[in-house]
Amino acid sequence: MNKVIITVLGKDRPGIISRVTTALYELGCNLENVNQMILQQQFAGFFIVEPPANTTLADLAQTLKEKTEPSGLTVHINQVQDTGAREDVIKGEIFLMTTIGPDQKGLVARFSQIIARYHANIINLKAVFKGGNDPNANIMSYQIQITPDIDTGQLFGALRQKAEDLGLDIRIQHKNIFDAINKI
Amino acid sequence: MFDDHEIISTIEMVKNENLDVRAVTLGVNLFDCISHDLPVFKKNIRKKILTHAENLVTTCDAVGDKYGIQVVNKRISISPIALVGACFSSDQMVEIAQELNDIARQVHIDFIGGFSALVEKGIAPGDQALIDALPQALAQTQRVCASVNVATTRAGINMDAVLAMARAIKKAAALTSDADGLACAKLCVFCNIPQDMPFMAGAYLGVGVADAVINVGVSGPGVVKRAIERNLEGQPNLNLGDIAEIIKRTACKVTRVGELIGREVAQNLAIQFGVVDLSLAPTPTVGDSIGEIFQALGLTTIGVPGSTAALAMLNDAVKKGGAFASSHVGGLSGAFIPVSEDLNIAHAAANGFLSIEKLEAMTAVCSVGLDMVPIPGEITEECLAGIIADEMAIGMINSKTTATRLIPVPGKRAGETVYFGGLLGEAKIMTVPNSDLCDPFVKYGGQIPAPIHSMKN
Repeated sequence: MNKVIITVLGKDRPGIISRVTTALYELGCNLENVNQMILQQQFAGFFIVEPPANTTLADLAQTLKEKTEPSGLTVHINQVQDTGAREDVIKGEIFLMTTIGPDQKGLVARFSQIIARYHANIINLKAVFKGGNDPNANIMSYQIQITPDIDTGQLFGALRQKAEDLGLDIRIQHKNIFDAINKI
Repeated sequence: MFDDHEIISTIEMVKNENLDVRAVTLGVNLFDCISHDLPVFKKNIRKKILTHAENLVTTCDAVGDKYGIQVVNKRISISPIALVGACFSSDQMVEIAQELNDIARQVHIDFIGGFSALVEKGIAPGDQALIDALPQALAQTQRVCASVNVATTRAGINMDAVLAMARAIKKAAALTSDADGLACAKLCVFCNIPQDMPFMAGAYLGVGVADAVINVGVSGPGVVKRAIERNLEGQPNLNLGDIAEIIKRTACKVTRVGELIGREVAQNLAIQFGVVDLSLAPTPTVGDSIGEIFQALGLTTIGVPGSTAALAMLNDAVKKGGAFASSHVGGLSGAFIPVSEDLNIAHAAANGFLSIEKLEAMTAVCSVGLDMVPIPGEITEECLAGIIADEMAIGMINSKTTATRLIPVPGKRAGETVYFGGLLGEAKIMTVPNSDLCDPFVKYGGQIPAPIHSMKN
């Protein structure tokens, strides 16, 4: 059986990782990769595992849900689509776009629409909090992968225009500047 | 991936703390342009400089845009004109300056440096012609910067050259009396001039350097000041050792930014990368000041007791941080204290906290010297030469670079305001005690011998 990706969601508390990984171990699955984050006290975990050859997706899903969902977790299981490409090879360059200004509905939608229109990929999106209650201190950070076929002049121009329309301060900077300053 | 703190601190450095790359300076060797025929020489230097500099400004802007860090000044340094134009007369030297000014305008740079002579051990005919040409050359051009090295630790101080420079400075000031002696703001007198400095007015391309080279001058006094303030707000019990460590780390970050951008500019222009000069260089803007760092360190203002110690600590921490960040550090690398170019320092001088004597003492521990100091126009040439000689002596004995960029403002006295404009700023004229003396000391001429510790071999 091919690899599967398991998504686990639920209110964060001690023991979630333990419960999920113990269940996977008992099912004979090999844990290949894992990532987790906590967003406003909500746990979200992603586990890529290689199940035993004789296990079906349905069996795996049923057993895993029985062992985790009674504790209030939500579990999704999907087959991993293997493209054959190495995941650590990123073509193109990464730019970090930050918008600073008051929060408003549809902010991310508006910018991500432009980014999608130019076929650029957002590889990381996060809200950055400076602390305090200043509404102008809202920072959204987008890491955008720019492949060589993308016209950065037009894309960045469209993003800057949108920021101006929305009254936001925008900065688009190559990732290396953040590396140079922070990764010593 | 970057955490919140990394993203915020980087944005803050650029947005609120004036982090930028202060200068990308393209050095161009002119030795292969030499000709005894002035029109041919002018044609050669134009062709050579344009070949390398045609895309300098657009490349710097594109790289700056990519990283969101502005390259504020794009400049050119050239081989010393007194060497490559050694066969020309002083009138012809003035023509060369005009040609350089025109080339600078054509490639959209604000300054071209290298109208220079190296005379620490004697004055050759080409050097003499250049020194004689200085007042007219600087008065008739806007973008040409000149420097004359009159002393080194190895050679001693050429006192004939010191006096000649005092006279040249007085003449240059007189020729630009309607602009408060502005020509002198483009003229530095040096001891131990570096061959690879990207900062004006003293930049020139040394004779032991490649045919073309990109040198970068970083800045960031605002970033250093905020780093000190931020840490003291969070931890009021920090001691000076801790603060020096904070300055060092901050200088390291700033230097890495400069090297990243400089290397990319060099790569895009297919020109060798030279050095990062990690000097803290101020502008006449609030928040971009060396003077404000003294206040962040707990001093009333620059110039009060404790200032020399604070500057020594700052200068050393900047060097250490920069040296860790880059293996190719050069130029002056330290902290500048130019009076008119730093709003805070200009205020300290105007309000009586900073005297010219204290400024001279401070130059013993920082990276330049009496920089952008407006002084009364009536100062005698003997007194002016004496101030220059004193500053050269500090450099010679301490094996460091020192320089003077003194502006004797015609028709104005101590306390009056001068305005140079732009990055050169404005200030009140500083008091120079005993500026009316005509002591013969500097007129004895000759060479003050090199110090004993020059005999290192």
